Amino acid sequence: MNDVTEKLARFRQPERFTRASRGANIGSKTGLLFAILAVTLYGSFASPVFFSTGNFLNVLTSMSIVGIVVVGMTFVLVAGGLADLSVPATIACGAILSLGLQPEIGPIPAFAAAIALASCIGLLNGVLVGFAGVNPIIATLGVGTIALGVVQAAVGGVIVYGTNPASAEFVKGRLFDIPVIVLLFVVIAIVGHFVLSRTFWGRWTLATGGNYRAAQASAVPVRAVKAGAFVISGLVAGISGGLLGLTLQSARPLVGSGYEFNAITAVVVGGVSIMGGFGSIPRAIAGLVFVQLLTNVMVLQGVRTPVQGLALGLMIVCAVGLDSALRKRGGA
Amino acid sequence: MSVLHLILRYRVAIILGLTLAVSAVIVPGYLSTTTLSLGLDRASSIGLIAIGLTVLLIAGQIDLSSGAVFALSGIISVILQPSIGIGPAAIAGVLTGMACGAINGLLVVGLRVNALVLTLATMLIFRALAHWITDSQPVSGTDIMVSLAFSQIYLEVFTVRSALFVLLIVLLHLWLTRTIPGRNVFAVGSNRVAADESGIVSGRIIFFGFVFAGALAGIAGVLQSLITNTGSPVFGSELTVAVIAAVVVGGTRLEGGRGSALGSLGGVMTIGALTVAMEFQSVPAYVQQVVSGLILILLVVFDRTVTTRRPSAGHRAKITHSL
Repeated sequence: MNDVTEKLARFRQPERFTRASRGANIGSKTGLLFAILAVTLYGSFASPVFFSTGNFLNVLTSMSIVGIVVVGMTFVLVAGGLADLSVPATIACGAILSLGLQPEIGPIPAFAAAIALASCIGLLNGVLVGFAGVNPIIATLGVGTIALGVVQAAVGGVIVYGTNPASAEFVKGRLFDIPVIVLLFVVIAIVGHFVLSRTFWGRWTLATGGNYRAAQASAVPVRAVKAGAFVISGLVAGISGGLLGLTLQSARPLVGSGYEFNAITAVVVGGVSIMGGFGSIPRAIAGLVFVQLLTNVMVLQGVRTPVQGLALGLMIVCAVGLDSALRKRGGA
Repeated sequence: MSVLHLILRYRVAIILGLTLAVSAVIVPGYLSTTTLSLGLDRASSIGLIAIGLTVLLIAGQIDLSSGAVFALSGIISVILQPSIGIGPAAIAGVLTGMACGAINGLLVVGLRVNALVLTLATMLIFRALAHWITDSQPVSGTDIMVSLAFSQIYLEVFTVRSALFVLLIVLLHLWLTRTIPGRNVFAVGSNRVAADESGIVSGRIIFFGFVFAGALAGIAGVLQSLITNTGSPVFGSELTVAVIAAVVVGGTRLEGGRGSALGSLGGVMTIGALTVAMEFQSVPAYVQQVVSGLILILLVVFDRTVTTRRPSAGHRAKITHSL
């Protein structure tokens, strides 16, 4: 299982599939596209509303808020950081600060401050996981609890309302007929994809997640890379939270709950390995599109919310099981 | 043995002592049997779940779904009361918990998936089931007198559930330290490959560890529902961090292979003492969350820096090596 040459081979080319399992490779790349196509087809036959511009805009907008979080979560998973469970707290920080500071310092500095604080939460996670070696789930769970409590204490446990209608208009508005939130999501996704697939940092991230010791031996600053993944996750979750707050024009401390699972589901269903070292932003976004369309079809068909939660949970189990099965077949 | 190691070894006692001392200074009339009784009762939900988690953590696994199992078992035990009576319904609730644990165990052992991620997913599933069954509404039981019986205080200290908690944790201590299966749990947690080579069926131990943890979360949930005469799909959502904090305060290592039941007892009592002290001072719930989060993080970091000599920071914890 610990064949060194095999691991090294995987390094030069971050693919888990050997020549022998090229079929599995093609299957895993196109399988999700077929699944998306199937859901779309089923949706358009089953519901007259599904294939309409209005519905697609709704799906896109709600997808974008989660999608921004997904970009950060992909970095965390690929770097071998398991998952960032502090996302609900980070989103709440972003939303509450970007609204609550508006009267004092204006909308744009408030938004910037919110993102800065969210990045600090990410940095704290990163230091704990990367440098102190704490288990990521425990660290992010603990930091999330603390951050959420501090934010709640800061606003006195009440709901914060927006005071600047202009900023809300901008976020809810459209640029070239596309909602601004969607545009922002696309920009963040493209930047994230570029960093992960075309820069040294992305290569380091893949290397750290794939084989920590080998990366360390190759002079990759593994601790900083791991910490960096959590900073990125905190940063984008803060942006997502700020946008959410501006859209809703109100922020309660629990505004972000559930986003962590939605993001993890999307990333894992997209085929990004939960054990690290394999994955890309487009894959994660394909997973996101599939999950969102499926949820949308379920909503249009009148499936109740708990059943949707059940479906999401089952999807994570299946995706993780498939990941571990593929890992064995790919020889990694 | 250095001073640091001594502190680490007896840290449960030190932390509990410090907590009690500080609380006694701040809260007037804190040190009394009433406080002890109240603290034990308030902490026994956490405590019962912590018993199961102690075994799992020693075996190198973890269960994040216990809060959801807690809610689901409680709901089952309440919802079945009209049709099959209170006693059988309670048993059905505990069986539900065991079934949830068995699902976790089967998936972790069968699929060879990381327990953290898998129980995260099953947490979502169990919570969704709880919402589904109840339509997201709290359900109430048939006989309100049962809750009175459970709130009765015996021997000036114990309620039924705090007595059960203390009894079970003493039994667990004996089992872990005096029996062969107990020792095998440590073996599996510290080195699974070596345990397998020495003829221990580690998969079976891990499976039953999950069933045990599920059963305990079920018992805690059923008792909670009987005492409040309600089952609610949102019960137990804040328990996870508190339970992990309690067990970690007690000196059980997240990476497996080390831990003790009496330590967990100390950890649970610390959390209970803190809760009661903060409730007396009417500290808001979110500040209590900050405190339990801080304790968890500080202790885990302290543990890592003192016990590991090797520059092992950032290495995947043993928990993640399920392959």
